[in-house]
Amino acid sequence: MSITYLEAIREAQAHALRDDPRVFIYGQDVGAFGGAFKATKNLQKEFPGRVIDAPISEDAIIGLAVGTAIEGMRPIIEMQFADFSTVAFNQIVNQASTLFWRTNVPCPITVRLPFGGTSGSGPFHSQCLEAIYAHYPGLVVLTPATVEDAYSMLLAAVALDDPVIFCEHKFLYYHLKAEKLPSEALPIGKARIAREGRDLTIVTYSAMVHEALAAADELATEGWQVEVVDLRSIKPLDTDTVVASVARTGRLLCVGEAWPWGGVTAEVIARVSAESYGLLDAPPQRLNAKDTPVPYHPNLWAAHRPTARSVAAAARKLIRF
Amino acid sequence: MPQISIIMPQLGESIAEAAIINFLVKPGDQVEGGQDLIEVETNKATMTVTAPCGGRIESFSAQLNESYAVGDVLGKIEATKEEAARFGLDVPAPTKSCDPETVTNQPRNGTGSRVEPTIRGLPVPANASGASYMSPRLKARMHELGLSAADLAGIAGSGAAGRVTVEDFEKFMANLETQKLTKASSMRVAVADAMRRSWTRPIATVGLPVQIDAVLAHRKTCDPKPGPALYALRALAVALAENSAVAGRLVGCNIVHPSAIDVGFAVEAEDGVLVPVLRGADKKPLKELVLRYNELVELARQRKLPADATGGSVATVTNFGTFGLIWATPIPLPEQTIVLGLGAGRKMPHWDEAKGQFVPVMEAYLTLSFDHRVLDGGAAGRLLLRISDLMRHPEKL
Amino acid sequence: MLQTVSGSRAVGETQLAAYRCMVRARLLDDKFAALYRAGKIHGGVFLGRGQEALSAAIGVSLNKTDVFAPLIRDAAGRLAFGEPIIDAVRTYMGSALGPMRGRDGNVHRGRPQEGYLPMISHLGAMISVVNGVLFARRMKGITGIVGAACLGEGATSTGAFHEALNQAAVEKLPLVLVVANNQFAYSTPTSRQFACANLADRAAGYGVESHSLDATDFSACMDTIGHAVARARAGHGPQLVVANLLRLCGHGEHDDAGYISPEQKNSSLGRDCLKVAEEFLLNKKLADAAQLAVWRSEAIREIEEAVAQAQREPTPDPYEEKWSALSSEHLNELREES
Repeated sequence: MSITYLEAIREAQAHALRDDPRVFIYGQDVGAFGGAFKATKNLQKEFPGRVIDAPISEDAIIGLAVGTAIEGMRPIIEMQFADFSTVAFNQIVNQASTLFWRTNVPCPITVRLPFGGTSGSGPFHSQCLEAIYAHYPGLVVLTPATVEDAYSMLLAAVALDDPVIFCEHKFLYYHLKAEKLPSEALPIGKARIAREGRDLTIVTYSAMVHEALAAADELATEGWQVEVVDLRSIKPLDTDTVVASVARTGRLLCVGEAWPWGGVTAEVIARVSAESYGLLDAPPQRLNAKDTPVPYHPNLWAAHRPTARSVAAAARKLIRF
Repeated sequence: MPQISIIMPQLGESIAEAAIINFLVKPGDQVEGGQDLIEVETNKATMTVTAPCGGRIESFSAQLNESYAVGDVLGKIEATKEEAARFGLDVPAPTKSCDPETVTNQPRNGTGSRVEPTIRGLPVPANASGASYMSPRLKARMHELGLSAADLAGIAGSGAAGRVTVEDFEKFMANLETQKLTKASSMRVAVADAMRRSWTRPIATVGLPVQIDAVLAHRKTCDPKPGPALYALRALAVALAENSAVAGRLVGCNIVHPSAIDVGFAVEAEDGVLVPVLRGADKKPLKELVLRYNELVELARQRKLPADATGGSVATVTNFGTFGLIWATPIPLPEQTIVLGLGAGRKMPHWDEAKGQFVPVMEAYLTLSFDHRVLDGGAAGRLLLRISDLMRHPEKL
Repeated sequence: MLQTVSGSRAVGETQLAAYRCMVRARLLDDKFAALYRAGKIHGGVFLGRGQEALSAAIGVSLNKTDVFAPLIRDAAGRLAFGEPIIDAVRTYMGSALGPMRGRDGNVHRGRPQEGYLPMISHLGAMISVVNGVLFARRMKGITGIVGAACLGEGATSTGAFHEALNQAAVEKLPLVLVVANNQFAYSTPTSRQFACANLADRAAGYGVESHSLDATDFSACMDTIGHAVARARAGHGPQLVVANLLRLCGHGEHDDAGYISPEQKNSSLGRDCLKVAEEFLLNKKLADAAQLAVWRSEAIREIEEAVAQAQREPTPDPYEEKWSALSSEHLNELREES
């Protein structure tokens, strides 16, 4: 029996709906249709009245979620694509993320964003917005890279009293499978050592974890042991685990699928440079998508973002410094 | 006749694969371009794979109820060249969709610009060679262990441009553990530090042989007998009193002038060198310096020098002649500009112009090492000449 | 607060209650304006002069268990809904003891768990939040609730307004949207804000009921608002009320409103609803001049005491402040920026 990343997300939502009457799901096409990616398939049938279709009104969707949160509910909002969440940007960053700080009333909403690129999805169905949301105080931003984390971190997100931006990678939805769902997990805010090494640290998250692991395999055949750190949560960011890894290896490569300017990779490097400069045996490096919108054509798309091959090349350069 | 592949098409957002549920035609059938060939099922819906062009079904490699990924070959159609051209299939297509290596390494149509990954070359600093470029981590480790760049001179760096990486360093340190190690005395460490600091300046040396017959004769007339080095010391002090600028120190663009002619002299102590100081050596004649000099030598040897007896000197004299050395290039103390060295005296032939022959004289080499930022050869040479003159008339010292 | 019960005596009491809130709001606004000119208030000051009748009518028509999202000119409505005057004064004057604790100021105040929602500055954004509160209560089986959201005519141009009203209509929520068309959004006249003849016509497009209202007319405000609230409470879905008036002050106290023409000020739209209310009460013999004077002086004293109290209170201390925005303490990234 194997379970995909998407099925894990569905299972987590079913689990949440079952265990907590305050939880409900709201979003476009989530009801009978089961969601654009089938993340809520059959949930409306199993939990009548708690999986509700919304009009194409991302702003009002989040505003409504905040209102229900004030009343003690715990809404799970499915944005059809992360790229469309920008229509709700104001409500997310000005309404949801400031509510607790302004009024002491918590805002326990979970906003699920199908994010990241797949071949042919183009500029408006591929974006990675974790850095934009992480920039605003008051939000928790999560980026599970494994089936197990997709499950447990979504459950943890719903249980958190703060607004969570839950970034689910579309490419991993059907491509990533696991044997079974976990019964325990690392807490939110802790990164995971996905692969131990001693020559170089790659810090990354979500789908790029898998590219990094493939790159590490390639480098292993050349005699290098690359350590891969899966951040798991972007905010809060587990600087301690990153620093401990750099302490072991002395070399840091940050990889992200998002654009370079002000991205997660920039944040990690800023922290390590400022706080642990003396651990670096080489200048810290980062690898991101090219600074253009995400292209549609597969040829262009394949070159736009980091791949196992480009990660390996960057790692090799850094190892040779 | 060209064989055109039947490929599993893109079936929708994020669909990775589909299962074959029905073959609508069989090998040997004649089909038209766009005709439905195979029914497949994704987790969202049932869809069909259509013929890429008209032709005869050559074979199906896909099997019923098996799943195939987007881009997999499911079968072949044999088509005429014209038919293939009509559908634009005569140009070979990439066998896998979006494999970045295929794309970047085999550009089509001769437009061969390589696509570089989004990373710039790592900056290798201009002085990143050997032990002179030290990464922050290396510096931190060295600081932790109390090491300086001089200690790393023996490490061949494996990093870019030969820099010493932390791995090189740790290997070097680990390797040390396998060798015989004794603890350096604190004296040794202090001297090492002083010499290393001194060496950060450009040091040069000039030398001059001096006849010491007069000095040796004068010694015999004294009680207690002054050491030969004391004559050199006193001569240096007198010369400095005449022109103290040569003992000035350069700090930035200022010369710091000596405030008093305090001259030190090197005494070998266990595992190191101590430098007791004769204060105001220009103010007292040699005879008055002897007792104090001898006292200081003894105290130094026993390492019982009081604090006020060292430090603050503006020049130093070192007598390596006692080791039998005739010539050496001493290193000035880091806070001093000059050091005067005295070699061993030897009987040397000296051409006597008046007699027209070589006559034996006792000769010793004076060497003056100096911070070349403060002095040039000329000034150094003049100082030596003056000292030499003074030493040939020891009764005046 | 006050129940809307049928019966003319109860109606009269409601009208008096509304009027008293209007007077207090007007005098409070005057006080804030004076404090602003005296340099005692940091940031913006936004007055509701001219809008008191409309605002108070909303506040008295709602039950304390209803939901209210007032906007920047709703001092009267806030008081009528039950806001203690000290809350308003503390927030404006920067007392650490105010409901927003110095983290937000002036009109950006409320008590969300009491159904009194604090606005964010983005116009139109609060409506869907009201929708959410109503939605949640319905999910919990709580019935008979109404949610009121206030906005100006300018806010009806926002996408947020459109999305929220549509959402409320689709969900058939008991939402009362009160649009105070005071003819100007800052300096922008209605001719640059919308092209339809009457904003109330938009209701048809959303499939909701509409009401139009001369907001200078005190009794019309009470009647129309009461009626709209009753319709919503009875399950007839969202109600769009478009109330016409003239803004009798600047957009903020920093604005002299030179763009409002004398003709407009002298038109019937430019009537002061407070004076109209007083005349109404006197005519209907619901109160006499002496009573009005007493209420006025009581209000003045109440306000002065509140201001004096707030001025004695501590202001927020940056060193005592918990500089974190998450309620999950263990997730706060406490990194000191030196």
